[in-house]
Amino acid sequence: MDGRKTSNWWTVWGVVILLWAAFPLVWMLSLAFKDPATFRSGEASFFPAEWTWTNFETVFSDDLFTSALRNSFGIAVIATAISVVIAMFAAYAIARLDFRGKKLLLSMALGIAMFPQAALVGPLFNMWRGLGIYDTWIGLIIPYLTFALPLSIWTMSAFFRQIPWEMEQAAQVDGATAWQAFRKVIVPLAAPGVFTTGILTFFFCWNEFLLAISLTSTDQARTVPAALSFFTGASQFESPVTAVMAASVVVTIPVVILVLVFQRRIVAGLTAGAVKG
Amino acid sequence: MAEIIMKNVVKKYGDGFPAVNDVSLEIADGEFMILVGPSGCGKSTLLRMIVGLEDITSGDMLIGGERVNDKAPRDRNLAMVFQNYALYPHLSVFENIAFPLRLRKKLSEEEIRAKVEAAAETLELTEHLDRKPSNLSGGQRQRVAMGRAIVRDADAFLFDEPLSNLDAKLRGQMRTEILRMQRRLGITTVYVTHDQTEAMTLGDRVALLRKGAIQQVATPRELYERPTNMFVAGFIGSPPMNFVPAECVDGQLKLPFVSFDLPPEMREAVGDRHHVMVGIRPERFEDASVLDESHSSGGVTFAADVEVIEWLGNEQYAYIPYDASEEMTASLNELEKELDSERMRSQLVVALDPASAITDRSKAEIWFDPRHLHIFDAESGDNLTNAIAAATTAAT
Repeated sequence: MDGRKTSNWWTVWGVVILLWAAFPLVWMLSLAFKDPATFRSGEASFFPAEWTWTNFETVFSDDLFTSALRNSFGIAVIATAISVVIAMFAAYAIARLDFRGKKLLLSMALGIAMFPQAALVGPLFNMWRGLGIYDTWIGLIIPYLTFALPLSIWTMSAFFRQIPWEMEQAAQVDGATAWQAFRKVIVPLAAPGVFTTGILTFFFCWNEFLLAISLTSTDQARTVPAALSFFTGASQFESPVTAVMAASVVVTIPVVILVLVFQRRIVAGLTAGAVKG
Repeated sequence: MAEIIMKNVVKKYGDGFPAVNDVSLEIADGEFMILVGPSGCGKSTLLRMIVGLEDITSGDMLIGGERVNDKAPRDRNLAMVFQNYALYPHLSVFENIAFPLRLRKKLSEEEIRAKVEAAAETLELTEHLDRKPSNLSGGQRQRVAMGRAIVRDADAFLFDEPLSNLDAKLRGQMRTEILRMQRRLGITTVYVTHDQTEAMTLGDRVALLRKGAIQQVATPRELYERPTNMFVAGFIGSPPMNFVPAECVDGQLKLPFVSFDLPPEMREAVGDRHHVMVGIRPERFEDASVLDESHSSGGVTFAADVEVIEWLGNEQYAYIPYDASEEMTASLNELEKELDSERMRSQLVVALDPASAITDRSKAEIWFDPRHLHIFDAESGDNLTNAIAAATTAAT
């Protein structure tokens, strides 16, 4: 079996998998540009006969959607910011220090991450109503943090562990306090970890559906995934499918941009040359 | 600039294991002190206790007359060069060296620039100032680490095996650099190494450690000529000293390959002991055939079966096996394990003049002067002939 043949097979399989993975996205795109009145009619083809922007107009003229976008954005950004900061401090302690209960803490974090969210919906609903934070941003941010933090902490502590301890020790000998050493030496080196954590948390918050549906009732706090399920389209005679697809396309764009911009940052290798070996 | 004084310093880990066991050492202001010893002897731990990265279980650490046990590293005003450099990879060479200055916040930008450039010039790093550590060679990174240390006005420099990651040639060059720098700046320096060549060439004084305890603190010359015990004698000197089990009977010393009368001073030093260990450095032997008469009087000659010859150009080594008793071999093996040497069989290593014509697998006449012997107590390993040795070396 020579190399040419194997690499051909790899190409074939690569293309197959690529098509499989990209197909739903392409379909979504094509639906988004189709005319809502005719997209289900007889002569429908995969790609739209005429590319139309009507769906996008519908979507953006609807208050439901624009407020949902605003909610999603705000909640995701705030939850990500808080999660990254907390995870950074927690991960530093876990990676560098030895304290009683460390193992317990880590196992608990893992347990929380594995917990089925569906089981929490009922109790949370009651609790939030009682506390008065039902249908608010904070009402969603708190559970999002709970579910995003374990993964963030695990990711960040893996990054911190990779940074040789001599860095901080050298900084300490040079005259830095622990905080200065952390801020000036460790944080820049842990940037890949920070970006990875940030992106993972953002995706989680952005795409989360179950809690968003259960813990919101008006467009005060409803995020996009939840809002899309209530979409009705331009009129009650037109299927909302194409409009929903257009909304989905709009919602996917920030995610794609984020990944493209930050993908380079998620590469370890910033510590090359710091220490020998 | 300050002197460093350690009084009965002990470092015990959680399980009670003493990494540093009651060490007392005084390092004068401006002195170049070397801490040397096999791996695990506690020299790095001791260094880290000086700088403050390890807690001191008990004892006093005084820098410049002040007790610093509870002071954080940043308050001790010491500079350290780590074994693997510990440079900040996200900063350029200039920023790496300027890092400690920027932390103080007391200097202006021009002052910082002036200091950094002065340090860079001393270490020939001026053309690398804008590069990142990942693009530098090992020697250059080492110099950046040193630059970071000298740019502050530290009270002392601490080096933790800085040359062990460099290749042999570079090691030699950097060794001289470090020595020159220390001589010029005159700052107290504590240098940790496991390499006895570095210890001998660099230090004003050398402290040899073994299992957390100091064996001997002395100048390199004293360590070489008057080791206090077998461990020191075996550690210093390359190739290492030959240890030969011997019996002392009626004023005669019986070695496995020769017996001779002990000089009276040595007889006194040995006292009542029957079994002793004799140490002879390889360079104390000579090929009897190339010696002139006047020299060889007062020495002992013996016939030897030379097994292997290693010719190195400026000297050659002859390996001469001999038979030794079981129990003596066992105690020798233990010592050798500690010294990290591998002696598989009982044999003498003899350094001969390169002009000598002795060949492999031949018989030869080997000469030595008994006054150059070191006699060690077989159990404690203490050097019994130390006091006499001083007089001998003065005479020869």
